This record gives sequence, structure tokens and C-alpha cells, in this order.
Amino acid sequence: MAARPRTLTGVAGVSALLAAVALAACASRGPVPPGLPGEVAVPGSEAGGSPSSPSAPPPGAAPSRQFHLGPAANALVTQARTQAGGGEYAAAGATLERALRIEPDNPLLWVELGRVQMGEGNAGQADAMGRKALALATGDPTAQASAWRLIADSLHARGRTAEALEAEQRAAGLAPQ
Amino acid sequence: MAAVAGAAYVLYLDLLVIHQFEGRRWTLPAQVFAAPLELYAGLPLSESEVGHELERLHYRKVAQLDRPGTYRVNGARIDVALRPARFADESRDAQLLSISAGSQGIEALKDAAGHEVPVIRLEPLLIGSIFPSHGEDRIVLTPREVPPLLPAALKAVEDRRFDSHRGVDPQAILRALWVDARARQIEQGGSTLTQQLVRSYFLSTRQTLGRKMREAIMAIALDARFTKDDLMNAYINEIFLGQDGNRAIHGFGLASQFYFGKPLSELDLSEIALLVAVVRGPSYYDPRRHADRVLARRNLVLKELADQHVVGAPEAAAAARRPLGVTPRPAGAYYPAYLDFVRRTLRRDYRDQDLTEAGLSIYTSLDPRAQDAAERALDSELARLDRMKKRGSEAQALQGAVVVTAPQSGDVIAIVGGRDVGYDGFDRALDARRAMGSMVKPFVYLAALESGRYSAATIVQDEPVDLKLAGGQHWRPENFAHDTNGPVPVARALAESLNLATVGVGLDIGLPKVAETLQRFGLDRTPQQVPAMLLGAVDVTPLEAAQLYNGLANGGFRNPLRAVRAVIGADGKALKAFPLQVTQVATPEAVYQLDRLLTLVMNRGTGRPARPLLPADLVVAGKTGTSSDFRDSWFAGFSGSNLTVVWVGYDDDAPTGLTGSAGALPVWARIMASLGGSSWNAPMPDGLVEMEIEYTTGLRVLPGCSDDRVTVAVPAATQVAPKAGCGFPDSGNPVTTFIDRTQRWLHALVH
Repeated sequence: MAARPRTLTGVAGVSALLAAVALAACASRGPVPPGLPGEVAVPGSEAGGSPSSPSAPPPGAAPSRQFHLGPAANALVTQARTQAGGGEYAAAGATLERALRIEPDNPLLWVELGRVQMGEGNAGQADAMGRKALALATGDPTAQASAWRLIADSLHARGRTAEALEAEQRAAGLAPQ
Repeated sequence: MAAVAGAAYVLYLDLLVIHQFEGRRWTLPAQVFAAPLELYAGLPLSESEVGHELERLHYRKVAQLDRPGTYRVNGARIDVALRPARFADESRDAQLLSISAGSQGIEALKDAAGHEVPVIRLEPLLIGSIFPSHGEDRIVLTPREVPPLLPAALKAVEDRRFDSHRGVDPQAILRALWVDARARQIEQGGSTLTQQLVRSYFLSTRQTLGRKMREAIMAIALDARFTKDDLMNAYINEIFLGQDGNRAIHGFGLASQFYFGKPLSELDLSEIALLVAVVRGPSYYDPRRHADRVLARRNLVLKELADQHVVGAPEAAAAARRPLGVTPRPAGAYYPAYLDFVRRTLRRDYRDQDLTEAGLSIYTSLDPRAQDAAERALDSELARLDRMKKRGSEAQALQGAVVVTAPQSGDVIAIVGGRDVGYDGFDRALDARRAMGSMVKPFVYLAALESGRYSAATIVQDEPVDLKLAGGQHWRPENFAHDTNGPVPVARALAESLNLATVGVGLDIGLPKVAETLQRFGLDRTPQQVPAMLLGAVDVTPLEAAQLYNGLANGGFRNPLRAVRAVIGADGKALKAFPLQVTQVATPEAVYQLDRLLTLVMNRGTGRPARPLLPADLVVAGKTGTSSDFRDSWFAGFSGSNLTVVWVGYDDDAPTGLTGSAGALPVWARIMASLGGSSWNAPMPDGLVEMEIEYTTGLRVLPGCSDDRVTVAVPAATQVAPKAGCGFPDSGNPVTTFIDRTQRWLHALVH
């Protein structure tokens, strides 16, 4: 997975594309409509494809929005990653649940919680959380791709290779790496 | 020989009382905590609401922050000296926090050094404890948590020579006899605090001479073994100070919460004097029942304190002028129905003894703000409905129950088990199992949408149904208005809760499929598969209804509804967690189509009476339920933030004369309005499109060609006949028209 260079400041151990999206969006936070703390409308295709992205977004999949994390959820995600990095998956899960109570509709948090489930060896829950994220991520190809990658990993972990490959292809089709 | 027997008896009593003392010191009912309030920039909480939340946690408003548990308001900024706090996942030290609040809510949080704090929790509110079946509840305090005035006052009033006597006080006994004879001053029991403690341990009120002897020997034994400080602390935590149903209030820590709703450390002189007054007879001196009597005794206590120079005379006189200050009912932070759910959740994993003695801390999802809103709405609306009393039974008061969840996490954030919320009795939210009525219909239509043969615009037949049942009887259900409407679109059939149309759809889909849909969403038994099931002959509790609807509110994902998040041992170690779990039980596409239909219920159908009670721009979705003969009035519905289920009815199942719209709906609307929260705004899944149809006919329309348009979501390939004259580019397309006609004809044939 490639992280976009502008996003790496300040967070240790970031490797997921997700973090890149989250922090990048935070750095350039636009006006937030009431009731949608984690959702910012992105005009046209300007912000959809990364400037460094080798290929343009597929036609017909122009992003209508892009999720990011609000500052509170972002701080909790950072804390959860530290906890998960130290093998404290239960604590990381509890921290992410705090974030989800603040932004329950943010697919990035569901992917994050699914990653913790994977770390705990709970591939079934990871899959369900990936699908929950997917349902929320409509219109945001980057978030959809993160969700499909989580689902792919959970399918791999359960030996369902064919389905996993299909999920990976979906992810690649949405947001090429 | 007699001396040996006597010595053995004394030794026996000694062992008994020491054992009791040591045992009692460490026997702690589990304490149950509400969800902590998360503060962060953007939280829509005004400055006064922040203040209210701090007051709920008994923070004191001061001019200068002096110690943890205080706050000061400085314009739009609130400075708080946060107390140290323990949460399910971590502990936090006391710290300073500055909260800047504006009209939109919290704008910024800063720590003592002026650094931005992205997110921080207030400590969780203690909402109760799980006490043993003999009913003793207590909050145990360490000596440090006890204001010095209390032991001083207890000594002055109950046992003046406590510091010097050896467990019994012969002088006091004589004095008591003398004072009783003159009967002029405060009555003196003559028992030392130590003797009272012994009496409390052995729950004996019979005052025979033998018992008095036994009690005296034990008191001497205790006094010989333990320091005066230990004994005083045991007394303060042990003594009986009130009764609340089957719950016995023991110790000053709990009594302070019980009578004043705040911690002992924050009581003033008059309040401490009141508790000391109650010691002598919590029933005779019940401040909620015998205010005058208690006031007189409290003032006697104050006079005694002044006479003995425990406090100054002017201070005592000022305190004597204060009202009793007792909360009208046992402190608000007492939620029996919620605790009932917590107890049942834990009973699967813990023995009763673990819960009542092991000093566990139980962290729950209860949101005190939501709980208060639910209690208030149910109380006021049921009182209003009772006053109307035009219909139904005159003799009894209406009852009700409420369950509120946060659908995405499955957190149960409020439960009301009945009108008299302080009463620890029949918990209707968990135990009243009643017919769902029309509240079942969304699951009939969900099964229909899932089949792929139905969409919001599909025309169904609302026409008489006559079914011959297995027993040879006929089943002839009717619409609420005893009418028939002929061909109607699904959207209208659900919005107006048309029985006949729904029966047609349900029979087409099949009873087993509808039953299976209910079970997928969390019904834990197989409903009896009779046609009446389609109209709600399925009995559920309000909590079970909330479980079913939670999946609709959560986009087709089921989470087990949970009250308990974590259980922490007395040593601070996590014992058990109940992490968030989701299971996909329906496609997002099917659930989205259904949820859009449920928003139409609110705008066009049986939910419409709620609209004036709700913020105009709040998008909500829901469904009424009315069981046969108006026995049960239900409403279940959700915004983007909360799902609320309300049941209203009589305990004896008598008809109420209320539909779901008339009974449960206004309660629901008031709760949803108080909760605020965001609109239902699930994203429309790819593959669905929005379409405007005519509400009455189901024909596809454009703006301007019908006054009666509604927007529905349908699968992109759905063919819907356009209304003539609407000028659709494809309106003359013979293929579309042909397919649509054929579909309609086939459907008409099926029904």
C-alpha cells in the first residue's frame, strides 16, 4: 500500500492508505454540514484523484464525497493504533468504539475497527465491519476501496481465496494503488 | 465451671463479631455506571448544558477553582477542575479543563497548559448498585471521603464519650434514664455507636436483657480489637438510614445520594444534621414523609452541636433556618428498569454473590440525558392521555415502556419500565410481551423487496380477504377504516398501514419467509405461522421490538443490543468486555428501499401526527402498531442517531381505545425531539435510483404533472408506468409500457 507523502507527519507507524486519507482531509478541512461531522462534499473530480496518482479514476465512478475523521475521532484512532501496535486489541477496540459513538456513520472508523478484529484473529467480525463500512462509503471510492481490502484480507484469512481475489480486484478498480 | 462456660461464650461472641466486622468491611455491592459524556469540539452542547451536565455529576459552581469537583463560568468559557476518574478502559488523574462553548456547541477544549484537547470524558455517573436479596445497598466510603463534621456530630448527638469509653458507656446509660425521665431534651439511647454497630450487624431489633448483654460483650470485644477510627468508619458505612421499596439504604455515603442526590463530601451543616437526625429512626424520621417531625429533630441536633461547641451558635442558627433540602424522590440517578437489564445481562456470566459482594464496577451504555428525556415524555404524555379518558377503561392508569438505542453500536441508552420510574416493580420494557400489531408490517414488505418482485411503486390490491383456515373457520381481516382502496402502490399501503394490501403481499411472499425475516433481525423464537401474523399477531417485549427495528435503523446490520460494556474487578482489572459486534442480515439495497418507505409513513401516513412535535428538518422513519381491540399502542422509529420504541397500554390487557398514532406516537415524538440528533441520512446504495411517483396511483410522474408526488427509491432497472401527459421522453415506449402492463396484470391475477 502506498501512503501519500504529504500525510505522514506526526503519526508513528502509519501504513494504511486510510490514515493518509484521514489526515490529508483533516489538514484541509472544509466547512462541515451540521450532523455530518465526518463528511465533506468534494467538488467534481479535483480532490478525488491524487495528483501523484498514476491513473485517473475510472469513468462513472467520480467521487461525490470524501470521508475524513474529525479531530476527536482522529485522536482516538491514533491512540487505538498505538494500543493495537502493542497487542492490546481489546483496548484498541474500546478506543475505536469511543470514536464510533462520535462519528457512527464514518466508514473509515468501521474499517479501522475491522482491522483490529483482524489483529485479534476475528476474521468473521472483520468481514462484517468491512461490509458495514462499504454500505456507508457509497460515493467515496477511496473509502470503498479500504473496505474491500479489509474484506479481502478477512476472506484470505478464512481460506476463501477466490472471493478474496475478487474483493481485491474491486478495491483496485475503485482506487488503484 | 460456670466461669469456663462464660469465658467460652465470650470468646464465641468475640469471634462472631470480629468475623462479621472483617467480612462486612470488604463486602461491596457492584457499582453500576452510566456512559461517560465525551466532550469534543463540535459537540452540540451549549454553555448552560455543559453546566447542567457538571451539576448532574455534582460539580460545585464556584468563583475560584479550589479543588476537584468544582467549576467556574467565565463568559462563554467554563473552567472545570475535573475529579480523578476511572473508566472501563483507563484511569485519569484530576486535571484542569477549559471549555469554550458558543451557540453551535463546544468550540474548543484546552488543558491547564493551554494545549488543545481533542477529546476528553467526564467521569461516569454512578447510577446504582446491585445489592443482595436481603436488600442492603450501600456506597462504601474511606475515612478520607467523610467530612470531619459527620463523626463529630455523631459523637455529639449519639455517643459523647466515644473516644474514651471501651465499647459501652455506663455513664450514658444512667444519663439516658435521667433524661428520659425528664423527657425534655433530645432523647438519648444510651447505646454507644459501637453497640449500635453490633446491633446493625446482627439485624436485631428485639431488646431483651439477654440481647443487651450479648450486644455489650460484642461491643467491648470490637472496641478492644479495632481503633476508634476503624469503628467510626464502619459505623458510617453500616448504619441503616432509609428504606426504598425492598432496598435498604445503608451508610451515610448512600444516604447522602438517596436524600440529597450528591456525595457526602459536598453536604453542608444543615444536611449533615438531617442525616444525623435520621439515625435515630429512619422510618419515624423519614424526611419525605414526616417533614415537620424531621425538621424539629434536625434543629434539635443543630442546637446540640452548638451547645457542645462542635459548630458556632450563629452557624447552627443559620442552618436551622434552611429548608430540609431533600430531593422529592430518591435521587434521579436511579434507573430500576435499566439496572434490571444490566442484572439480567450479567446473570449469564456471574453468580449473584459476585455481583453483590465482590466490589465490581460495571460500565454501561446508559445516557442519563436520554433516560431523563424518555421518563419525562412518558410521564407527561400518559398523564395527558389519562386526562382525556374519553375512551377505554376509566378505572386504571395507562402504562407504558420505552427503549432507546444508538443503532450503529447497538448500545441501549435508555429504558423506562413504567410510569412510576422509581418503583422497582414490573419492568414492562423487558417483561410485557404484547402483540406487535402493524409494527410487523415493515418486515413483510422487506421480505417482499428482497424477493425482487416488489418495489415501492409496485401496485398491490387492497381488497377484501377471505381465507379458509385449517380448522374450517374463515379469516376476514379488515382495514382500520373498514374500507378497501383497490389498487395502491406499496409505498401507500405501508404508509397508511393498509391491512388488506399487506395480507395480500405477505401471502404472496409466504408466511415462512416473513417469519424467517423476523428471526434474521433478532426474534429469538419461531412465530406461529398463521395469516394473522402478517397483521402483528406476534408477541414481543418493547426490548425485543427494539432489537428488530435496530437492524432496520442500522442498514440491515444486526447488533446484539447491549447495556453493559465492561465489568472491572475490585483490583481494577478488566474481567469481561462486551465489544461491538455486527452481523449483516439483509442487503443494504433492500433495507434502504424499506427505510425510505418508513420516512413516507412519517410524512404521509400514520406517523404524520408526530411531525409538528419534531424539528421541521429532522428526517425520521418509523411505524405505528395497534393490536386488536386497541389493547396495545406501539411506535418504533429512528433518526440517524437514535432508535426509540414506545409501548402504551394497560397492565391487565384491557382495550385502551388508542391507536399507535394516538398513544405511543406522541411519546415517541417528544423523546426524539428532546434527543436532538441527526437526520436519518443513510447513503443510497449504488444500483438504486430515486423516482417520483404519484402517491395514490403509483404512476411515475414529473414535477408539475401531479399534486401528489412522493419520492421513493427503487432498483435502477425498475419499470414504472408513467402518468399520461407527464411528457416523459420514453412515455410512448411500447416495450416499457408492455412490460409494465404485463406486471400489473400478473399481480392482479396473483391477488
